[in-house]
Amino acid sequence: MTGTSLFHEQTARQRIAAVVDAGSFVELLPPPERLTSPYLAQLGIPVSFDDGIVIGKAKIGGKKLYIAAQVGQFVGGAVGEIHGAKLTGLFKAAARDRVPCALVIESGGVRLHEGSAGEIAITETMRAIFECRAKKVPTIAVIGSDIGAYGGIGILSTCCDFRVMTEHGRLGISGPIVIEKWMGKKAYDSSNRALVWKTSGGKTKYLLGDADALVHDDAGAVREAIGKLLAKSSPVTLKNAKARQAALAKRLKRFGKTENPDDVWKGMGVRDIAAASLASGPEFVALAKTGRK
Amino acid sequence: MEKFAKAFPSKPLKNTAGKPWALAGVVGSGNLEVLVERGSRPSDAMECHIETSIPGYKASWLAALADFAHHYPAGGTKVTINDQGAPPVLVTLRLRQAYDHLTKGEK
Repeated sequence: MTGTSLFHEQTARQRIAAVVDAGSFVELLPPPERLTSPYLAQLGIPVSFDDGIVIGKAKIGGKKLYIAAQVGQFVGGAVGEIHGAKLTGLFKAAARDRVPCALVIESGGVRLHEGSAGEIAITETMRAIFECRAKKVPTIAVIGSDIGAYGGIGILSTCCDFRVMTEHGRLGISGPIVIEKWMGKKAYDSSNRALVWKTSGGKTKYLLGDADALVHDDAGAVREAIGKLLAKSSPVTLKNAKARQAALAKRLKRFGKTENPDDVWKGMGVRDIAAASLASGPEFVALAKTGRK
Repeated sequence: MEKFAKAFPSKPLKNTAGKPWALAGVVGSGNLEVLVERGSRPSDAMECHIETSIPGYKASWLAALADFAHHYPAGGTKVTINDQGAPPVLVTLRLRQAYDHLTKGEK
């Protein structure tokens, strides 16, 4: 598959190939295994050989890691039973072998056609992620596609040690259309792309500390960011959890009533909103440096 | 959903070594995925399995696959397709991509 180097335009398989050391990727449960969804077939919806997720072993800069990438084009990258089982198994293997695990996310959350199975799979994956974290095995979520990380996958991404985002990535629980349906178009207009990205996009998530790295929309930049995080871990302790809780309470108090996302950017120390809107990856980080503690 | 299978006469694959399988495309609206695997018998036929969400186009499918089997030495391969309404030109393109990956390696 001839590929573009823009990360958000690549397919899951292209992303993995572009991010890891050349030729190092060994796929687990590859397409010839035909591990497809039994539910979609019953509903008359076409199945996919990999059930929308590519998992395997690879190396970055010679260091071993487990890596997975979700296929956003296939039912929105949503998590069904097989998809979820592959994800859970990969993180369990990472904990067992004490090898870091990276997940390239492109998913709206649970696949509604197989709801309960998907929900259970996501919680089991979270458990496996915390097993990794208890053993200080780094877990990294990469969010760099327009579909982003929403629903259960949005929550799951925040269970990982670190999140790497690009300006294309979005992170949240309820998606923009869901929020609009509940709150009304006046409160949140999901067709306003600038508003949607300024509230849930990579730049804002980086400013607020939900993303640990903001990089260019480029596989090389993502690779470099993952490489830097492979030797680090963020311990789960009561002290850290309490500090995080306090920071979130402070954030809610400070920005909970804010109606214009620009005010959040200003509040986080971005002086030149126009310049920051046009800046990408490291350039944005440099502009935001003063605000982010 | 419509499901069918058929084998088409085709000259044997030229190189017998190389990767055992190749995949092209994804299952998405107006798109399809094509998996081509080596080691199918007999060596002078391309074995095809199609599953499509749009019923009623079997004749077009068989014509596109027969044409591919005629123009490319694909004997001894098993082609499995998951389709979500791809147009015929895209079917031919994905077949060629998967075939190229199998015989020449990815990219």
